[in-house]
Amino acid sequence: MVRESRRSQLLRGVLDLCLLAVMDEGPAYGYEMTRRLRERGLAIVGEGSIYPLLGRLEREGLVETYRAASDGGPPRKYYRPSSSGQLALALGVSEWRAARDAVDAVLAPVKVEVVS
Amino acid sequence: MTDFVEQCRGEWKRLGVPDPIAEEMAVDLAADLSDAEAEGVSAEEFLGSSAFDPASFAASWAAERGIIPAPTGRGNARKRPFVLVAFTALAAITVIVSALLLATGEPKLSLATSRTTAAGPSRSVVHSVSAAAPIEWILLLLAVVALGFAAWLWASSGRLRLPTAST
Repeated sequence: MVRESRRSQLLRGVLDLCLLAVMDEGPAYGYEMTRRLRERGLAIVGEGSIYPLLGRLEREGLVETYRAASDGGPPRKYYRPSSSGQLALALGVSEWRAARDAVDAVLAPVKVEVVS
Repeated sequence: MTDFVEQCRGEWKRLGVPDPIAEEMAVDLAADLSDAEAEGVSAEEFLGSSAFDPASFAASWAAERGIIPAPTGRGNARKRPFVLVAFTALAAITVIVSALLLATGEPKLSLATSRTTAAGPSRSVVHSVSAAAPIEWILLLLAVVALGFAAWLWASSGRLRLPTAST
């Protein structure tokens, strides 16, 4: 329970980066992004959903959107990082890696862990 | 899933989201939910806990897009002082009443003298004459704790009213 909650909290802090990263691979609509995340092991978005986050990224000008037909389905709203979004992604990845390395350095001596 | 989208539509209408934007969001959401269903992904897996609260989900989405003002919790803030005032007043009244009862009531313990037999020696017996005394003490204690809790709530309420940083 505690581990799940921590995982959700950690993910919430970097979900915007994850969304920018998966749409940087190629424009994607909402569900397609969750599919790409799921393929990398982020099966559950956690407490909320990606829509409010996509809304915020759009409001902040970090993504560009356009409508296009999907495969056999209705026209979908596709998202891709704007130039500001790509910059935010680059900065965010640097911050994430620095934080991850620092936490790893602190946790490295810990010998016990629960394998899930 | 259609029901979920309809409830979102209703919330957007209630919040004054312009129809074309609400329609766009509803169509996108319906299409994504349909994709999820086709792949065997439940609404809960796709939407998280939002799947159980379409109104909050719809409001949050519209607010994050900047279509409506971000919720400030004003509804709760308006109710909070009234509830807090009532709670604080009740706790204070209970403290006063308990203290008065304790201060002005009968002696809690009395020393009574009785004789067991006409010829026997007299002896002292302690009688409890106020069965309510422990309840008064408990009430007083609870009320003091409640007052402390109310003070903490007032302090928290003050902190919550401070301007919040936008995310």
